[in-house]
Amino acid sequence: MPERRVTVVAEVGLHARPAATFVRAATKAPMDISVARASGDGAPINGKSILQILALDVKQDETIVITAEGEGADAVLDELAGIAGSP
Amino acid sequence: MKAVLAPVEGAAVGLAAVPDPVFSAGMVGPGAAIDPLRGPGKAVAPIAGKIMKLHPHAYVIVGDDGKGVLVHLGIDTVQLKGEGFQLLAAEGDRVSAGQPVVAWDPSEIEAGGRSPVCPVIALDATAASVRDVVAGRVRAGDELFRWI
Repeated sequence: MPERRVTVVAEVGLHARPAATFVRAATKAPMDISVARASGDGAPINGKSILQILALDVKQDETIVITAEGEGADAVLDELAGIAGSP
Repeated sequence: MKAVLAPVEGAAVGLAAVPDPVFSAGMVGPGAAIDPLRGPGKAVAPIAGKIMKLHPHAYVIVGDDGKGVLVHLGIDTVQLKGEGFQLLAAEGDRVSAGQPVVAWDPSEIEAGGRSPVCPVIALDATAASVRDVVAGRVRAGDELFRWI
């Protein structure tokens, strides 16, 4: 299944603006989006849920794995990885 | 339908009045905001449920129905790294609606050059599902909006 590993560099982690921007982009995608810690800590969550993204509580310098499957998955993942990895 | 309570005393204003586009544009979700009364106060749980996330400057309570509400105490207050906030509960605690969660002083936030305005957000909600948003003076624990 296509995936992207990306390290969150934003000082606030995947919260506030990065989290809202990520979920907004994920929600537009036609397929399911899952997000998990690269460390394997905790279960993968639904990347379209702001509640679950906030619960995942990804901090600065943590690496996540974003997964999607289906037509256009690579473009979606590139966009989401860009958001999650932006400062 | 659930009632979402005002977490702090102050003036209920629309999200559009929040000086942060992430909130004012509804990117985090629909809801309301409160311009808090200046002076020492306690921010309370807007709904009954479990404290899913507790930061000094923000918290998320999730009800038994799975609906989560975010309370953000002031804007850009993550930068304070907890200074000026005192936790009155712990992450994972079950709280009743109206139970104090964080003690703070909005006047200190303002003195530090930040807005103390508090967005109260219905997470994963559609804009149409937030109704009867109150405007004007509210006390902590008063109904702020309904989530259908």
